[in-house]
Amino acid sequence: MTGQLWAVLIAAFLASTVEFVEAFTIVLVVGVTINWRSAWVGTAAAAAVLAVLVAIFGTAIVLFIPLQALRFVIGLLLVLFGLKWLKKAILRYAGLKAIHDEEAIYEENLAAMKMRGEQIPTRTDPFGVATSFKSVLLEGLEVAFIVITFGVQADTGGQSKGIFIAALGAAAACLLVVALGAFIRAPLQRVPENTLKFVVGIMLTSFGTFWGGESLGILWWHEDLSLPLLILFYLAVTGILIQVLKPYASPRTPQMVTGGDQIQKPLEKEVLG
Amino acid sequence: MNAILRGIKATYNFFSGDAIILSTVLIAFALGFFLDKVVGVSSLVLTIVFIALIVLGLALTLSREALSHQRIH
Repeated sequence: MTGQLWAVLIAAFLASTVEFVEAFTIVLVVGVTINWRSAWVGTAAAAAVLAVLVAIFGTAIVLFIPLQALRFVIGLLLVLFGLKWLKKAILRYAGLKAIHDEEAIYEENLAAMKMRGEQIPTRTDPFGVATSFKSVLLEGLEVAFIVITFGVQADTGGQSKGIFIAALGAAAACLLVVALGAFIRAPLQRVPENTLKFVVGIMLTSFGTFWGGESLGILWWHEDLSLPLLILFYLAVTGILIQVLKPYASPRTPQMVTGGDQIQKPLEKEVLG
Repeated sequence: MNAILRGIKATYNFFSGDAIILSTVLIAFALGFFLDKVVGVSSLVLTIVFIALIVLGLALTLSREALSHQRIH
């Protein structure tokens, strides 16, 4: 293998790793907070759509798929989803969400089932499927663009296996990210429910702001490196909001720290409830 | 007609369920698009306006919840 092909392999690997980390972060939080079935259904559906798109368009996919428009729509939806989750988590942390409501009773029942060792029924959740689908589709398309762009550049530079080598780099990145994700999955399951929902809200809002901002023409500082900064920014803002809201909580409304902090519950309760 | 209304309500609840968040986020994206494509502001200004509107939406809906909670208790 020539030096140019090695360069393509490494560049595709590194660039794809960033995209896979972004997609897998969302899949992971959906899996942990909603259920894994929904996370995998969304991921599989997105992978199928990607496969169809690549099969139809081949390398011309770069010309036909409006990545900016996709970023706009997905960014907008993620910000909406993220703020909704953040709002509920902040209200609970501030003590403004009553403990003795239907949601809490439902969660306590599930916690009791879990303590008795009973299987908690899981079913495909539209919100979880949609969230993981959008993220995997967008990031998967970006990986396809990376593979094609790097591969075609190597091919026009006199190489014949540019796209294949770039695809190998992307596949290696995917394996690495999934393997790392499998390691952190178990510790994540032990994080309290409201904390996870808070983290999901921060993640979805940050990713939505990042992708939405990109589609609007924002040139983020050092591109993907801005994402951790956005996450820190939203953490700081929500921390301030929680402190500001705490005095509004009545003494008769205890903070939501029991029951729901230990178990998962279906999405529509969270979204529609 | 009822089925259509139920459909619209379910869609609204699925995507947002909060009028304040929905309107401020839509304004943030629409204004961001306008500022970039029509006015041609710098990326920094666009970033500040865009993020400020998103945070504003969250702050407004939370303050509404806090005030209504205070009225009830």
